[in-house]
Amino acid sequence: MELLHNLALGLGVAISLQNLTYALLGCMVGTLIGVLPGIGPVATIAMLLPITFHLPPTASLIMLAGIYYGAQYGGSTTSILVNLPGEASSVVTCLDGYQMARNGRAGAALSISAVGSFFAGTVGTILIVLFAQPLTLMAQKFGPADYCSLMALGLIAAIVLASGSVTKAIAMVFLGLLFGLVGTDVNTGAQRYTFDIPELSDGIDFAPIAMGLFGIAEIVVNLERHLTRTGAIKVTSLWPTREEIRRAIPAVLRGTMLGSILGVLPGGGPTLGAFSAYTLEKKLSKTPKMFGKGAVEGVASPEAANNAAAQTSFIPMLTLGIPSNAVMALMVGAMIIQGIQPGPEVMTKKPDLFWGMIVSMWIGNAMLVIINLPMIGMWVKLLTVPYRFLAPAILLFCCIGAYSLQNSTFHVMQVGIFGVLGYIFVRLGCEGAPFLLGLVLGPQMEEYFRRAMLLSRGDPMIFLERPISLGLLIATAALLVLMALPSVKKAREEAFQEEG
Amino acid sequence: MNRFLTKDFLSGVMFVAFGAVTLYFGQNLAIGTAVRMGPGYVPRMLSMILLGLGLVICVLALVNGGEAVEKPKWKPITLVTIGIVCFGLLLERAGLLPALAVLILISSLAGEEFKLLEVIGNIVVLSILCVLVFKVGLGMNIAVLEGVW
Repeated sequence: MELLHNLALGLGVAISLQNLTYALLGCMVGTLIGVLPGIGPVATIAMLLPITFHLPPTASLIMLAGIYYGAQYGGSTTSILVNLPGEASSVVTCLDGYQMARNGRAGAALSISAVGSFFAGTVGTILIVLFAQPLTLMAQKFGPADYCSLMALGLIAAIVLASGSVTKAIAMVFLGLLFGLVGTDVNTGAQRYTFDIPELSDGIDFAPIAMGLFGIAEIVVNLERHLTRTGAIKVTSLWPTREEIRRAIPAVLRGTMLGSILGVLPGGGPTLGAFSAYTLEKKLSKTPKMFGKGAVEGVASPEAANNAAAQTSFIPMLTLGIPSNAVMALMVGAMIIQGIQPGPEVMTKKPDLFWGMIVSMWIGNAMLVIINLPMIGMWVKLLTVPYRFLAPAILLFCCIGAYSLQNSTFHVMQVGIFGVLGYIFVRLGCEGAPFLLGLVLGPQMEEYFRRAMLLSRGDPMIFLERPISLGLLIATAALLVLMALPSVKKAREEAFQEEG
Repeated sequence: MNRFLTKDFLSGVMFVAFGAVTLYFGQNLAIGTAVRMGPGYVPRMLSMILLGLGLVICVLALVNGGEAVEKPKWKPITLVTIGIVCFGLLLERAGLLPALAVLILISSLAGEEFKLLEVIGNIVVLSILCVLVFKVGLGMNIAVLEGVW
């Protein structure tokens, strides 16, 4: 059994002391930022990118992954106890979780969400194991034209499923692609948009852009808003009643299934999974009136869904090298910083990294249940730290981190510049995620485009003649046409309005 | 409501501006042919698409109207940016401690509440933490105080 052999290899890597430590560290940081409102996994991972530069590749990816799914766990804690979603994906958990807590069932809500999340995370990890190999084998048959079309589909799908204006998001992708071009052209060695600044000849570094756009801009926006804190509800017993368990189990199963599917889709991920799961539960329920008043299903299903989606969103990134959301784009960035080109080769060339990371995700999920349940009191205390202490500290770590990339203050200045740009994006309602996806995929996409055109002797028909490429392009076009249909447009707007 | 001050119109203007700038600065890059593309082929293509999309967004925004831009609050973004720039300027010239103190002081001013004692406390705690983590722990090559340590 090759699969078992691979898992054994992964287990060997994941339980080394170093990797266990980083998995734990990632989970702790993830829980921490999940608990703290006003700082999410995207900003945190962006800000920690420079640190991963100094770590071995496997350890750094294990840690970043831990932050991502740790945040899903931590976010639910504050949703339930304080009615403050620490994370976008736990906004729905507030609806029924906080009501359960007010009815004196805080402990039950917490344990159901933690155990449900653990179950969903386990299923998600199994799905990654099952799908990784076939998808990778398929991807290895891809030619340059197919890859180019696949990336186009990934980019467009990510936009369609994200909220906000589609046209603006597409423009943001192109802007990201353009920023990705800065530096020395690989084929000819010509300098593009470097303005004779030597630091730019290797391209704009990914980390300062991500830190500025997501880290700094987020801090500034939070400083403008007034973050108020309310007292947390005391937790008494963690044990749910038999009735609660009976109602939670099918909900967790449904949430896991829905979340797993939505996580794989480009642009999907935890938030979409959680919202869809909640809507589904409400529709299926015999007592929809209970929702919003402390329905167990309203906590169990979205919590399972967001965690399952967090796991399965790794599938396209690990097998195809296509990030499906901003966090995955950052993971791709982290791999590139380590000198690993994400894509189907990762599995064959670096099996220890690939399988080690997958197994460590499962271990991390188990750790999170332990971190979360007995230590809830400690996490809740952290909520009382005022933002005016946090903001300067986060800024400082950003700056030192940026400097440490290459011991150059140029990177610090870049963080500042992209912070301003990120702030402008926020104010104009332009989303950063499509920009980041374009930035990450830009250089590769240009490579594949140029190679495909060279192979076809300059005939763009190659994109339509190859069956794989044609299929992918038809899917892309279909998505775009679908978006333009008035009825779909309206439904999409309504769906996202519910979120806001 | 001023129809030019909507989020959509202004972002369209931003995209047009970016497209124009990249088009202008990319004009001396060789385009090459479709078979052997020069370094300028893809940039030019992308710039023109961006320019076009920006124009479409502008026109649509003028026709449909849209959400007005919120009045920007200048204080946080300006102070945070100044803080980062000062940090960048001071780090190699004066060392980690002065750079850190200035950054925290300036960025604390960006918030709504400012209590000098708290800020000083914050500076002291973070200084100790940073020296321990980055200098002693990770052994980073930065001077804590230029010329002294």
